[in-house]
Amino acid sequence: MLARANPLALLSLGLLAIAGSAGVRSLQVAVVTVGVVVCLGVVFVPGLRDGAWRLLGPGLGAASVAFSTWLLAGHDPRLSATAGLRVLVLALPGALVAPLIDPQRLGDYLAQRLHLPGRPVAAMTASLQRFEALSGEWAQLDQARRVRGLGPGRSPVARFRHAAALTFGLLVATLRGSARMAVAMDARGFATATARTWAEPAPWRVIDNAVVAGAVALAALPYALSHWL
Amino acid sequence: MSTSTSPPRADKWRSRFGYRTIDLVTAAMLGVAFGVAYWGWAFAYNGISVAFAAYQPATGLLSGPWLLAGVVAGLVVRKPGAALLAELLAANVEYLIGNQWGASTMIAGLLQGVGVEIVLALFLYRRFGLVAAGLGGAVAATLESVYEWGAYFSSWGMASKLVYLGCFSLSGAVVAGAGGLYLVRALAGTGALDAFSVGHERRELRPG
Amino acid sequence: MSCVPAEHGRPASLRFAGFGWRPSGRLRSVVCDLDLAVEPGERVLLTGPNGSGKSTLLRAAAGVLGSDAGGDRYGRVLIDGAEVTSTPPNAGLVLQNPADAVVADRVGRDVAFGPENLGLPRQQIAERVTEALRLVRFEPPPQTPTRSLSGGEAQRLALAGALAMRPGLLLLDEPTAMLDRESAQVVRAAIIEVVAATGATLVVVEHRIGPWLDLVDRMVVLDAAGRVVCDDKPLEALAAQAPTLERAGLWLPDLPPPQPLPVDPAVVAPAARPPGDLLRAEALEVRLRTRGLRGRREVVALRGVDAAVTAGVVRAFSGASGAGKSTLLAALAGLLPPSSGGVRASSGLAGAEQRSPSLWSSAALAARVGWVPQVPEHGFVTRTVADEVTATAARLGRRVNVPALLAALRLERLAGADPYRLSGGEQRRLGLLAALAHRPAVALFDEPTVGQDRHTWVAVAGWVAAMAESGCAVGVATHDDEFVRGVASDALRLRDGQLIEC
Repeated sequence: MLARANPLALLSLGLLAIAGSAGVRSLQVAVVTVGVVVCLGVVFVPGLRDGAWRLLGPGLGAASVAFSTWLLAGHDPRLSATAGLRVLVLALPGALVAPLIDPQRLGDYLAQRLHLPGRPVAAMTASLQRFEALSGEWAQLDQARRVRGLGPGRSPVARFRHAAALTFGLLVATLRGSARMAVAMDARGFATATARTWAEPAPWRVIDNAVVAGAVALAALPYALSHWL
Repeated sequence: MSTSTSPPRADKWRSRFGYRTIDLVTAAMLGVAFGVAYWGWAFAYNGISVAFAAYQPATGLLSGPWLLAGVVAGLVVRKPGAALLAELLAANVEYLIGNQWGASTMIAGLLQGVGVEIVLALFLYRRFGLVAAGLGGAVAATLESVYEWGAYFSSWGMASKLVYLGCFSLSGAVVAGAGGLYLVRALAGTGALDAFSVGHERRELRPG
Repeated sequence: MSCVPAEHGRPASLRFAGFGWRPSGRLRSVVCDLDLAVEPGERVLLTGPNGSGKSTLLRAAAGVLGSDAGGDRYGRVLIDGAEVTSTPPNAGLVLQNPADAVVADRVGRDVAFGPENLGLPRQQIAERVTEALRLVRFEPPPQTPTRSLSGGEAQRLALAGALAMRPGLLLLDEPTAMLDRESAQVVRAAIIEVVAATGATLVVVEHRIGPWLDLVDRMVVLDAAGRVVCDDKPLEALAAQAPTLERAGLWLPDLPPPQPLPVDPAVVAPAARPPGDLLRAEALEVRLRTRGLRGRREVVALRGVDAAVTAGVVRAFSGASGAGKSTLLAALAGLLPPSSGGVRASSGLAGAEQRSPSLWSSAALAARVGWVPQVPEHGFVTRTVADEVTATAARLGRRVNVPALLAALRLERLAGADPYRLSGGEQRRLGLLAALAHRPAVALFDEPTVGQDRHTWVAVAGWVAAMAESGCAVGVATHDDEFVRGVASDALRLRDGQLIEC
C-alpha cells in the first residue's frame, strides 16, 4: 500500500523518524516504539513479510551503538539497549521505505512540489540512473586488476590500496562520461533550460496525506509514550 | 574574428558562479560515483572496524573517506553548491541502496556538504589549495560529528564525544581534505578535468 | 525564459564562414578558416582522418562546442542565416556511444528530455515523444527500462531524443561505429527514413563510408589539418581521395580485406605451452547479479554453454550485443563464478592449482590468463606507458622487452606518456600490451576491434594471429564479421545466453 505513496511523503516518514528518535529516553518507550514500527512495517511495507533482510542494516547500526554505549557509559545494559533501540527508531522507517522511492519520481516531486531549481534536479535524476552502469564499471575495474595479478591482498594496507586504485579508475571513467553526457544534454537544449517543464505530474493524493499524518504520529509516539509511561 | 575577448562584469560573475551543464553534471555524477565507491569499500573493509571496536570514538579516524564526495566536487567544480550537490547525491545513493542509518544518511550528506561550502565560501570561492581543502574536510566532519552526538551517541560522556569529534575532524582534514586535493590533482593529470580550471592549472605545468 | 525555435521542423541550411577552433591547451587549431555550405534538405557525408575536426564541426553546428572544454572560436557558424549560440539550436546531435546520451531510466521519459528543456506543456511533450518514437520505428513500449536496450535500439532511442526537438538539421557523429552489422543496418535505415519523412538536412560523420555512399548526395573530405580537400558527389569524391583516405585508415568499400600485421613471435610466445583445450566451460550457467538503486536483479546471462579455448586456435564467440559473449569470456577467465556447471582448466594449464579458474589467486590467474577488457581505460593500473607494459610481468617476476613490445605496436615514442592521455587507438594498443606483455598461455579479448580504424584493426588482428601461431589459446568475443572471417579459426555463435548452430 505504501508503494502508491509519492516519494516526498515516503521521505518524510524517514526524516520525521529522526525527530521522533529524540523522544526516546527510556527502555520501555524504546521497545514499544520499535515494536510499533516493526508491526506497521510488516503490514504496510510490501515484501517485508518474506524477507526481513532489510532490517539487517539498521540492526547492525543499533548493535554497534549499543556496544559502544555499553563500553563508554558505564557498562549499563539498560542504557545501552535504549541507545541501540533508539537507533532502530531513527533508522528503520527510512530504511523500510527506501526501496519504494523511485529516483525519477523523486526528481519530479522535488522540482514541482518543492520548487527546487529545475536544472540541478534534472542533473540529479540523470546521474542517479547511471548508478548501475557505474557499479558495472567498478566491477570491470576489479576484474581487470585481478586478472593482471593486482588483486586485493590480505593485509588492510593492501586492501586499502586496492580500494584506492578502484576509486581512482572509477572517478576517471565517471569524469569522462560526465563530459560526454554534458555534450549530449546540451545538444538537447539543457544549457538554457532554467524554466524547464516536467513530462510527468507530481500529484498529491489522499494516500500521501495519510502517510505524512502517519509519519507525524509515529514521530510523536515516543514523546507521548514518555509522558504516559 | 575571435570570440574570446575579455567579458564585461556581469559575464565575469556568471562565468565564476554560473553553472554550465558540465558543472552540474560533474558535481552530480561525482556524488553518484562516490556512492558507488562507498558501496564498494564496504565489501573491501569487512572486518576492519572490528579492530576499532575496542575504543569506539576512534572510529572517527576511519570516517574521513566518506567525506570525499563533497571535497572533491568542491575542488573540481569550484562553484557554490557543488560540494552540497555531490554530498546529497552520495548520501541519496547510500540511503537508497540501504545502510545502517536510514534517512539519517541524508541529513549527514546535507551537513557534510554544508560544511565544505562554508569553508569555500569563507575563502570567497577563490582558494582551493591545501588549507581550504583541509579546513573543508574538518568543518564537514565537525558538523556531522555534532549531529551524531545528538542522534546516536547521546549517552556517551562529553570526553568520549570530544575524542570522537577530534578523531573525525582529523580524519576529515587529512583524508578528505589533503587526500581529496591530492586525488583531484591526480585526476587532473589524466586529462579528465580539462573542462575545469584545475585541469588548466595542471596543464600549465606540463610541457606540450 | 525558454525559447522554442520559431520555425522548427523546416529543413535548415548550415554554413561555416572562416570557421576555426583551437581547444585551450593546444598550440594548433583543429579547424582553421573553414568554409562550407550545406543547403536545406541536403545529405552530406563528412569524412577524413582522425583529428581532422569532423566532430568539431558537428558540435559547432549543434551549439555545444564549449560544453566539455574551453577554446577559441573564429569565424561564424550559421544555421538558416542566424549565428549558432547555445540557445536551443535547430539541430539534433547524435553521438557515437548511445549510452552517453541516456538521461532517464525509461524510454519514454528519455525521449521527453528535449521537449522538457524547451519548456513545452505536458500534452505537447507526450505528443512529441510518440511522434519521435514512431519516426524511428521503435518497437519496445515507452515504459521499457533503458538499461535493457540493445546497442541498435539505444542508438535509435538517441535519434528519437534528437527528433523530439523537431530539428531542421540532423548531425550524426559516427552513429554506427559501435554497432554490429545488422544493428548498423537497422539504424542506417531508420536515419534515412527519418530524413525522408521530415526532410531535415543531414550531416553524417563516418569512418566506414561504404554503406553511406548510396544514401548521401555529397561527400566532404577534410585533411589532417582541418581543411576541406574535396567536396563532390560521393563516388567522384571517393575516386579522387581513395589513396589519402586509405592511408588515413578509413574503411573504404572496395579495398581488399585487411591483412593482420605480422608480429615477431618472440614477443608473444608464452612461457609455457600446454596443449589441447586449456579452458573448458561445461554446461555453464552464469547468473549476473546487478545491484540497482531499487534492489537487486538477477539475470541468467549464460545457459548450458559448452565452449572451450584451445591451444593454437583463435576461437571467436560471436553474436549480437547482450548475447552473452563478454560474459562467457569473463567466466572462462575465472572472473565470474559459475552458478551451475563449471569452467575447468586443463591439467597442463592449472599445474599445481585447482582446476577451476574462479578459485585461483590473482597472481596464479595472471600467470596463466591474459584478458583484454572492452574499454582500455578500465585496464590501466599505472601512470606511464612503460610501467603499464611491465606491471603484470613485474608482479610475476617475468622479464619483458619493453622497447620491442612498444615498437611492435608503434607506441615507442609514447613510453613516458600518461596512458589516460593517449588517443583511442593508442589506448587500445596499449591495453593489449598491458594485458598480454607477460606472455600468458591463454589470451581472451573482449570486443577488440569495435569502432577502430584499419590501422588499429590490423595491429590487433596481427597480435591475435601471432599468439595463436605461437601456441596460445585465444578466445575473442566480437561482433566484427571481418575479424571472424579473416582471423578466427572457428566461431561459436551465441544468442540470449545460449549457443546456437551457425
